[in-house]
Amino acid sequence: MNKIFTIAKWEYLEKIKTKIFIISLIITPLIIMIFSILPTLLADKESIRTKLIGVVDYSDIYFNQLSFELEKFKIDDTQPYYIFLNLTDKNKTIDLVKAEADSSVMQNRFEGYLLIHHGNIDSISVQYRSQSIGSFRDIRRFEDVINKIRIQNELSAKGIDVELANMIQKNVDVEQIKIEKDGEEGKQNFMIVFFSAFIFILLLMMMVIYSGQMLVRSLIEEKSNRLIEILISSCTSEELLAGKIIGLSALGLTQILIWSLIGIGLVGSAIIPTDAFQNILPMLLYFVIGFIFYTTIFVGIGSVVSTEQEAQQITTFISLILVLPVVIAVPAIQNPGSMMVKFLSFIPLTIPSIMLLRFKIEVVPLTDILITLAIMFVSVIITLKLSAKIFRIGILSYGKRPSPKELIRWLKEKN
Amino acid sequence: MLEVKNLVKEFQNTLAVNDISFNVPPGKIFGLLGPNGAGKTTTIRTILNIIKPTSGTIFFDGQPIREDFLNKIGYLPEERGLYKKSKVIDVLLYFARLKNMALIEATEQIDIWLKKLDIIKYRNTKIEELSKGNQQKVQFIMSVIHDPELIIFDEPFSGFDPINQQEIRELIFSFISEGKIIILSTHQMETAEKLCSEIFLMNNGKEVKSGSLESIKKDFGGNHVEIKFSGNISTISDMKEVSSIDTYNNYAEIQLSQDVSPSLFLKKITDKIDLNHFSVVEPTLNKIFIDLIKHEKN
Repeated sequence: MNKIFTIAKWEYLEKIKTKIFIISLIITPLIIMIFSILPTLLADKESIRTKLIGVVDYSDIYFNQLSFELEKFKIDDTQPYYIFLNLTDKNKTIDLVKAEADSSVMQNRFEGYLLIHHGNIDSISVQYRSQSIGSFRDIRRFEDVINKIRIQNELSAKGIDVELANMIQKNVDVEQIKIEKDGEEGKQNFMIVFFSAFIFILLLMMMVIYSGQMLVRSLIEEKSNRLIEILISSCTSEELLAGKIIGLSALGLTQILIWSLIGIGLVGSAIIPTDAFQNILPMLLYFVIGFIFYTTIFVGIGSVVSTEQEAQQITTFISLILVLPVVIAVPAIQNPGSMMVKFLSFIPLTIPSIMLLRFKIEVVPLTDILITLAIMFVSVIITLKLSAKIFRIGILSYGKRPSPKELIRWLKEKN
Repeated sequence: MLEVKNLVKEFQNTLAVNDISFNVPPGKIFGLLGPNGAGKTTTIRTILNIIKPTSGTIFFDGQPIREDFLNKIGYLPEERGLYKKSKVIDVLLYFARLKNMALIEATEQIDIWLKKLDIIKYRNTKIEELSKGNQQKVQFIMSVIHDPELIIFDEPFSGFDPINQQEIRELIFSFISEGKIIILSTHQMETAEKLCSEIFLMNNGKEVKSGSLESIKKDFGGNHVEIKFSGNISTISDMKEVSSIDTYNNYAEIQLSQDVSPSLFLKKITDKIDLNHFSVVEPTLNKIFIDLIKHEKN
């Protein structure tokens, strides 16, 4: 036990001083922030300047109503978002007006313009012509308003009261409420769920890959300078393996701790929603056990290689396996109750990430938690045993990478 | 006392060590000798519990080796290397602690040894900033810091300059008086001859010759002569009295055929060559080694 602690302490202290650790400590949350927070920030931020929008409408039906409705949208409740400009000139042909308007857009006189073609009474087609594809939000507003005007006009033409028409047009939004224990209500926003669960899975994967690489690299160093022989003549291979895994896990926990502090700081400044930290304790449990599980696999496979190049190949390979749960996460979150998700939440390789997701999407039954934890626990013990066997022989074999056949022979070999 | 009994280690299709047995008493330097690929390193690794023997047993002080045995052994491997980015003190402390030394004791001993080998000023220096010789010293300290009962030196002098070699040699001798069990593995026969009192010579995984240096020399001695000459040596090397000959510039070591006395041989060569010097000598270990290994091949 003593020696395990000595090894763990050494691995921890020596690695925490390395440049790669310090860099990963800063870079990883940065990357995750960029990938998760920036798009939402960008999508949600409205432009802060008023857009001048032209309208070409030979039917004269839409312009007034359109500008009336859309100029209701205000920046900071004062300045309007849109100002509309009627470009319709009955003295010119529609093609001429269009050509002029196009060149005005090119000269940045206005943002873009709506070209409304009126066919028969119930068929219109609308183009929004601008230098760049317009923002989602703008186009959605134009569509809504144009549709509203069209329907109102037709209804009032048929003698139906405008108030009634408005009422008919009211949209019903279905709000999603997740019922937590004690009958508490939790409001769920798909984006928030997706990103907060995704952040945890990404963190897990990046940590495993970073620390796995560090582990393999240090094993290669110990193999090439033969320190491994002194280590193995000072302690058992099981102690060495356990020490390394514990040291690395402690390193991982330090990383989580620091990242959590960053996270809490971000919550404080309202960049990350508080929702992201719901169910944090059971999630942390899966996080840690998942980390130990993956690291154990890494140690077993990593002890086989003896050059930096091979290490690169093998870490890429393992990383691909680790990314698998991230890929699965997307369909899983769209359909949380599906058989596939149920099935994957009982496979050791995907349990940690799927469970991290499930905690975000639904109330996970206690039996599921107990079963998956038991599976993880058993898997960790089995992989630990297998890895220890490969490790024991792998660390002392130099040169050629063993074939799968040889690996199986190693596993069969008695201690 | 370390006892190795009927040790066999088989790797895939090859017998690296083929049924060898020997005892290493304390207070003597035991030379484990042999050409490259003889199975020396495999034998050492098995003793050190780095690899498991296919069959055979190893006893230490009459007991089969247990886990605490690991704390009593020191090992200086042939290929050296240390954690390059780490400080001297940190590395030494790590390995001392791995040998179950208490922190205070370990720190004290490290300082004593750093002073003894005159590298105390590098205590807080990174390994990569040390010269090769000083790195070797650090590694030497690593193998003896915990006052082990059994020390295995694999080519201990490689990488040291003559002055440091002398220093290390004296340290190794000092361990004899402390009653430690010392195994020295080398293929430098001159070193072995100067240091070892017990020899175990192996080739192709098998024992070739073992015993005390004296008795081995006696077995081979009696009919070795050394001559210094001027003239053409070929007239002598073709003689039927000559069993084998190693010629150097104006100097030759000759092993006579059995039943040929050195004085008779002297009479026969005086008129064949211009002789400057003639003496009856003990064969060098180097000579014995070469003869035995050649004999093995035939």
